[in-house]
Amino acid sequence: MYRVELRNISKKFGGIAALKDVTFKVLHGEIHALAGENGAGKSTLVKILSGAHTKDSGQIFIDGSEALIRNTQDSKKLGIGIIYQEFSLVPELSVAENIFLNQLGTGFLVRWNKMKIKAEELINSIGFDINPSLRVRDLSIAQQQVVEIAKALSEKVRILILDEPSAVLGTREVQKLFDTLTKLKKDGVAVIYISHHIDEIFQIADRITVLKDGSTAGSLLASETDKKSVIKMMLGRSLDTMYPSHNTFSGKEILSIENVSDGEKVNGVSFKLKEGEILGIAGLVGSGRTELARALFAADKIKTGRIFLAGKEFRQRSPGKTVRAGIGMVPEDRKQHGVILPLTIKENISLTNYKSISDVFGFIKTKKERENTIELIRKLSIKAEGENQETLKLSGGNQQKVALAKWLNRDCRVLIIDEPTRGIDVGSKVEIYDLIFELSKKGVALIVISSETQELTGICDRILVMRKGKIKSELTRKEFSEEEILRLSILD
Amino acid sequence: MIKTDRKISFQRVLQFLAKHNTVIIFIVMLVISAIVSDVFFTSANLFNLIRQVTPVGIISMGMLLVILTGGIDLSVGSIVAMTGVLCAIFTSTMSLPVAILLSLSCGILTGAVSGYLISVHKMAPFIVTLALMSIVRGSGFIFSKGAPVTVSDNASALTDFGSGSFLGFPNPAYIMILTFILTAVLLKYNVFGRIIIAIGSNEEAVRLSGIKVTAYKLSVYIICGGLSAIAGIITTARTSVGSPVMGAGMELDVIATVVIGGASLSGGKGTAVNTLLGVLILGMIGNIMNLINIPAYSQQIIKGLIIIIAVMLQRFRIKDS
Repeated sequence: MYRVELRNISKKFGGIAALKDVTFKVLHGEIHALAGENGAGKSTLVKILSGAHTKDSGQIFIDGSEALIRNTQDSKKLGIGIIYQEFSLVPELSVAENIFLNQLGTGFLVRWNKMKIKAEELINSIGFDINPSLRVRDLSIAQQQVVEIAKALSEKVRILILDEPSAVLGTREVQKLFDTLTKLKKDGVAVIYISHHIDEIFQIADRITVLKDGSTAGSLLASETDKKSVIKMMLGRSLDTMYPSHNTFSGKEILSIENVSDGEKVNGVSFKLKEGEILGIAGLVGSGRTELARALFAADKIKTGRIFLAGKEFRQRSPGKTVRAGIGMVPEDRKQHGVILPLTIKENISLTNYKSISDVFGFIKTKKERENTIELIRKLSIKAEGENQETLKLSGGNQQKVALAKWLNRDCRVLIIDEPTRGIDVGSKVEIYDLIFELSKKGVALIVISSETQELTGICDRILVMRKGKIKSELTRKEFSEEEILRLSILD
Repeated sequence: MIKTDRKISFQRVLQFLAKHNTVIIFIVMLVISAIVSDVFFTSANLFNLIRQVTPVGIISMGMLLVILTGGIDLSVGSIVAMTGVLCAIFTSTMSLPVAILLSLSCGILTGAVSGYLISVHKMAPFIVTLALMSIVRGSGFIFSKGAPVTVSDNASALTDFGSGSFLGFPNPAYIMILTFILTAVLLKYNVFGRIIIAIGSNEEAVRLSGIKVTAYKLSVYIICGGLSAIAGIITTARTSVGSPVMGAGMELDVIATVVIGGASLSGGKGTAVNTLLGVLILGMIGNIMNLINIPAYSQQIIKGLIIIIAVMLQRFRIKDS
């Protein structure tokens, strides 16, 4: 008998089918990984289990009897605990209060001391040590994740769902999380684990189910398969083609920056960039990578230093002037700065180049705008209902493509891309790399900033490693090695 | 299953109500008005109603633009008084076109001051325009020496225009309609409108797309100040008197019409059509209560309640992904 059995679950959002006839079974004491690209339906499937979404059709069985899950309370009563990608913590409350938020009201007075002791025990039991009196807003993201897990475990759970829990955790923390999951598994809890990281999945999971485009692509025992076949199942193709080989093309020098400092995070940076070159910038978060990009784009002011564009000094800059000079930037934070979520795809894309689709009085040539957007949607294979769909309703990968499309909408000479593929699925990643190569071939100079070293070594012609606001080292393609880059970014 | 179906259809109804709540409230108000008073649908009353809502109607379009960027302008009522007074004063010494242009410029200038402090110095719109509201109101009293100023006889063209009508509509109402059409077109078909809405949704993202956010924010306050001046001049034209107490509390009525029209005070959401309906709804509330002799104090309470109901209706949304 299965602890959880979902039979023929279907779910539509608007006209788009998110899940088609999905069947998914989890045993007691099993860690079951749910893999698939973004938009494959993983989150939707677990949200149906947690009551955040309701299914259109199909059946749910818990321990063999059919269960009716209409809302999150129903799901809780069935012993289903879920840890979402987005945190559901109250930043102003303490760790202990957050953990026991649903269980505060068992009498007239809250017993603070008892609550704190219980919270501490709970956190210790999963291998961590966080002061339960601290306010959640003062915790690191990784610590918040731990609190989130402790909160889910504060109630008796029979089924625990984790949606991308490791995205913000470091290697050691992930190991502790895995120890906890193994412990829960021994107690008979069914664990559903959603992750993009194939390595992790193989480290922890007993069984792997792969979703593709809303349907089950396969369900396999981890011991009977390998990474390659799972990736192939997720993508419908193999990973060898992920970083297609490309010829280093470089033309004239287009950008040169001399001794740029922003007075805070960027401290005397100089480099040169040629047309068609793909320059990577590696470094830890906080090394000044993003600040350098923002300073270059004039999003933040620079204190000292000079910037030359095609040989001419570029002074009195603003984002507007920078854009008109032919420099674009896809910012690090997609949802805050890359796209405007409540606006449509069309409105987002047009934002960078209204001049080309309007007359002298600013009236929009609607037909031209529409055709222009549709062309870009097709070119970047953005999955959407149409050019008038809200960006909010797209998956992360497709939102990132919209953020990129904004700059394909005008002829850029230099394009800065900060974290081109963070949090997006493998399929979209490959498409974005292809696009970067295509731009490079056209002579666009690209600056790619990334935390994923593999990504940089895969696509760049040259990599600068930043540390503490300075350029620590410059590596050419022959010198690329992930170990070396990591060593340079963490050691003085 | 039947239960879920019913739930879904109930949610559909709520969603429908939420989506079209301004139109629905407008229709309900019309029906109620027709039932409770047989005078309501007479041309004399409708003429009166339109004339009453005109100043608020004109300013509401400027306020809509400001609110779309996520800002607010509390100084509009004071600008009405100051420009109304100035226009009346100017008529005694200057030719009418000059008098009108000068008082209009004063409104625009006031808007520019607010806009400059808000967009360039990044001060909070609420605080800046609250201060301007006080400064401008005081100026109106100083210019008029505290007493109403009568429009000079030389400027009879102004008062004739203000009190006259054309094709059964009060003359000033045509200015309101023109303002409405311009705003509606601007918001729907022009880059300016698109960018205003985008700024209200996410200012930083717009800036990082290479757009001069400062200029756009400055311009909405200038437009709002200019439209307030037009409302002030029209009010003076209609009554032949520029009074420093005109437009007291008007900013709240204007903001209320925009909110009843479904705009979000945090910016990025709102349309010209719904704002115009908001203007008419608020006007009808006052009008109908006068017709059926509800005392002024109770009127204020009912007005407040209707605003709450309107905004509450907007909150029903189907929970989607």
